[in-house]
Amino acid sequence: MAQETKAKEPTIRFTVKAGLPQAPQTREIEVPQGDIKPWDLDSLSGFEQVGKRHPRFEGPLKVTGRAKYTYDVKLPGMLYGRLVGAPFPAGDIVSVDTSRAEALPGVRAVWVAESRIVRFAGQDVAAVAAVSPEIAEDAARLVRIEFKEKPFTHELRAAMKPEAPLVFAATESPVGKDVELKGNVAGPTSGRRGGGRGDLVKGFAEAEVTIEGTYYCPVHTHAPLETHGVVASWEGDQLTVHASTQAIFAVREGLAEALKIDRKNVRVLCEHMGGGFGSKLGPSASGSAFAMIACQLAKKAGAPVKLMLDRKQQHLCTGNAPSALITVKAGAKKDGTLTAVHYRSHGSAGVAPGAGTAGPAGSLYANNPNFLAEEYDVFTNAGPAAPLRAPGHSQGAFGIESAIDELADALGMDPLEFRKKNESSPVRLAQYDPGAKAIGWERRNKKAGQPATGAWGALAPGRTRGIGVANGNWYVFAAENVGAQLKVHRDGSVELISGCQDIGSGFRTAMAVVAAEELGIEPRDVTMRIGDTQFPEGPGSGGSVTTNSVAPVVRLAASQARAKLFALAAPLLGAAEADLDAANGKIFLAKNPAKSVSFKQAAAKMPGETIDITAQRPKQYDTVRRDLAGTQFAEVEVDTETGAVRVVKMVSVNDCGLPVNPLTAESQVIGAMIQGASWALFENRILDPNVGTMVNPNLEWYKILAPADMFEAVSILTPVANLGNNTSTAGIGEPPIVPTLAAVANAVYNAIGVRVRELPITPDRVLAALSEARRRA
Amino acid sequence: MASKPPRSDDEGAESGFSRRTFLKTAGAGAAATTVVGVAQRSAAAPQVLGPDAVTLALTVNGVARSVTLEPRVTLLDALRNHLDLTGAKQVCDRGGCGGCTVLLDGEAVKSCMMLAADAEGHEVTTVEGLGTPEQMSPLQQAFVEKDALQCGFCTPGFVVAGTALLARHANPTLDEIKHGLSGNLCRCGTYGRIFEAVQTAAKAKRG
Repeated sequence: MAQETKAKEPTIRFTVKAGLPQAPQTREIEVPQGDIKPWDLDSLSGFEQVGKRHPRFEGPLKVTGRAKYTYDVKLPGMLYGRLVGAPFPAGDIVSVDTSRAEALPGVRAVWVAESRIVRFAGQDVAAVAAVSPEIAEDAARLVRIEFKEKPFTHELRAAMKPEAPLVFAATESPVGKDVELKGNVAGPTSGRRGGGRGDLVKGFAEAEVTIEGTYYCPVHTHAPLETHGVVASWEGDQLTVHASTQAIFAVREGLAEALKIDRKNVRVLCEHMGGGFGSKLGPSASGSAFAMIACQLAKKAGAPVKLMLDRKQQHLCTGNAPSALITVKAGAKKDGTLTAVHYRSHGSAGVAPGAGTAGPAGSLYANNPNFLAEEYDVFTNAGPAAPLRAPGHSQGAFGIESAIDELADALGMDPLEFRKKNESSPVRLAQYDPGAKAIGWERRNKKAGQPATGAWGALAPGRTRGIGVANGNWYVFAAENVGAQLKVHRDGSVELISGCQDIGSGFRTAMAVVAAEELGIEPRDVTMRIGDTQFPEGPGSGGSVTTNSVAPVVRLAASQARAKLFALAAPLLGAAEADLDAANGKIFLAKNPAKSVSFKQAAAKMPGETIDITAQRPKQYDTVRRDLAGTQFAEVEVDTETGAVRVVKMVSVNDCGLPVNPLTAESQVIGAMIQGASWALFENRILDPNVGTMVNPNLEWYKILAPADMFEAVSILTPVANLGNNTSTAGIGEPPIVPTLAAVANAVYNAIGVRVRELPITPDRVLAALSEARRRA
Repeated sequence: MASKPPRSDDEGAESGFSRRTFLKTAGAGAAATTVVGVAQRSAAAPQVLGPDAVTLALTVNGVARSVTLEPRVTLLDALRNHLDLTGAKQVCDRGGCGGCTVLLDGEAVKSCMMLAADAEGHEVTTVEGLGTPEQMSPLQQAFVEKDALQCGFCTPGFVVAGTALLARHANPTLDEIKHGLSGNLCRCGTYGRIFEAVQTAAKAKRG
């Protein structure tokens, strides 16, 4: 072709040891020029800090109540804002009368929404700011909303009926023109990393055993303990916003755009935040513009405004995980070889699209040649969904992994053996046995529902137990527009500066570990400054990208500082820079460690006062694999008289690349199992079919797993040198919640011998399933 | 200076049930004893306070503090908004999650469910009073070591509830720990490590 080919960016080549420690692969890799040799399997034995257990830096502040969250910020003259949401699910607002609220002494500003169309209960209608939270609450109650209600549809299955009231008229469709909207049902949309391959007709013709099952998952809300909120203050045209967020830069950009001001005039801060799980990735929330409203109230009142949502608003308008109704038809040969999977999913993300769930079905069992996924978005008059920890994947894995279990059962095969036979990931293949050993897989009921065929020891009367397994997948995502600044001062003190926020993952500590490893000092010697848009750009904490997006640039900056320190130390040691190494706060001759100078002695020789390095993250390069593998095992006990299900133990086996700080990484894995078990057994957002508002907008009727429900939770991390970046790190926040719903449901099946195909697995559903089984028997 | 609060007109026809209404209906003393279960006040008839701001004398973390606030203000809001002790958190605002737990005469109570006025005459201890980042209590130290926290928003409540538990049981069993902490919720999923932290602190205390 005559066309000029684009100049290839210059690269350097390294030979590395990649993959699993038990099956290392020597690979030649190309990394962008300026980058450094990546950590690989050979690095594991030499690490001083990486891979060790480091308590998180902010721990002492958090356990003594000194950590300041957005909710704790108090500025001089600060007003308290309060949002007023629509008290009905669908219709038109005729008028909003704020006169009585404005007349209330102590009220300083009001805001009224421009939009007059209401599509879900809780939608922003008005807001007030007053001198105390109590007066703001009084004022909010004085706002009068006159409205005309329209028929509404509250739930997925109701909304799919042809006679259901329409959430959107055909002309208002929120999905692209290429997607058909029939009633409230839009689709099929392309598979979320699902799509299709092969020939289903041929695949099912080859199958000797075929099963079909339909599975339902209700809407689950994020329910972070710190509600969404901001404190907004203006100084002239400069806006400062403290935000409870997973993405401070997205808050800055979103607010600048909404308020039509320059980004440079907006500063967003987040020192600590009280949980998000995906719901705090935007400038405000998926179903509320509260942050923008707070900024406008602050401008109007000429005073800072704190606006935190209350618990009910948190449930209604800050996002949720979509419901899902999944039908899977799957076929296999008698020897257990999968020949075809047809995956169909309808889900409701409320008034928004994005209810796809086919990711796990499309990625797991990639050796199966014949696969088709069809996904549909169903609109309901409910708050829009938001990403929730591996969006769509927990629901999707519940569908596909329940069906895989049913197929194994129909084939008379052990569900673990069936999975091994069809496994396409070498990493997951290596994960099965350690997981099975940790849960005691051999103890399960060989015949589901018959505890005499398992090895349980003495069980209380009426109790039975079961063990289940399920797989999950996630992907290696990374943000590349990421920077970091590292300062070594003449006195030897070190600062690491990154704009990125710590959402409770232990990000702060992990980055100090990476810098300390490179500089040969203790993580505690690194002072972390994070969570400020005036610092170098960091990623939003979504997609499990934070560690593997920031760690490589931290390591790069630290390695550049190290080189400068070696240049200062070399004359002191009478050696060449290339012959030096650093560890334990010393710089020494690699061949004669006794000959050394301290880190501080070297720093004291610097010209000027600071070695100040700002680096940009090198581009992502080829990974060994694109998927992050995981598998999970659950043991449950079922009381067949009351129907109550209790999780006894769970084991999660995960690939997170080379773990930087296993102590905090394990916390994330265990937390994901708990959140998933809570979803499987308890959580259900219930909208009233008669009035369309949420019946359980609190934390006692929207039940989440509590201390009394806690089980033994085991995390096994399988290190994989995954490369793609110079630290070989990967994410861990999302993958471990993907298999959990299915693992619990499969364990319940093993315990009682009847499948509960609808979540949450509440006592009434267990009793109904048991009585149905008795009737059939 | 806070503006004068509304008097007769503060609940419109569309209003819900507020703490203010609750106060009027039930009377401050009765409400607090029912909800919190603290010792009965003196047998004298309940004193009528408010609706205007009143000055209260509170003892918080061993220090006598004076606050001027509307009598409808909860103990939680008094601590947070008037005394700048923001360790206790409002999470559910209805006694369902334990995020606001403080000690009242050594007993764990939910400070969102009691009025500041009803804390007069009692010793209030918040998480700040149990230790400092430089000098943590053995339980706080164990929380850090075991990584019994993630986002940390529930942590102050768990630390206070765990402290009350250890005061009752020097050597609690796992079931006693689960029971003792059952008024508290965590969303990140740290329960298992919280139990370990309580066990570790109990061991440290026994020496």
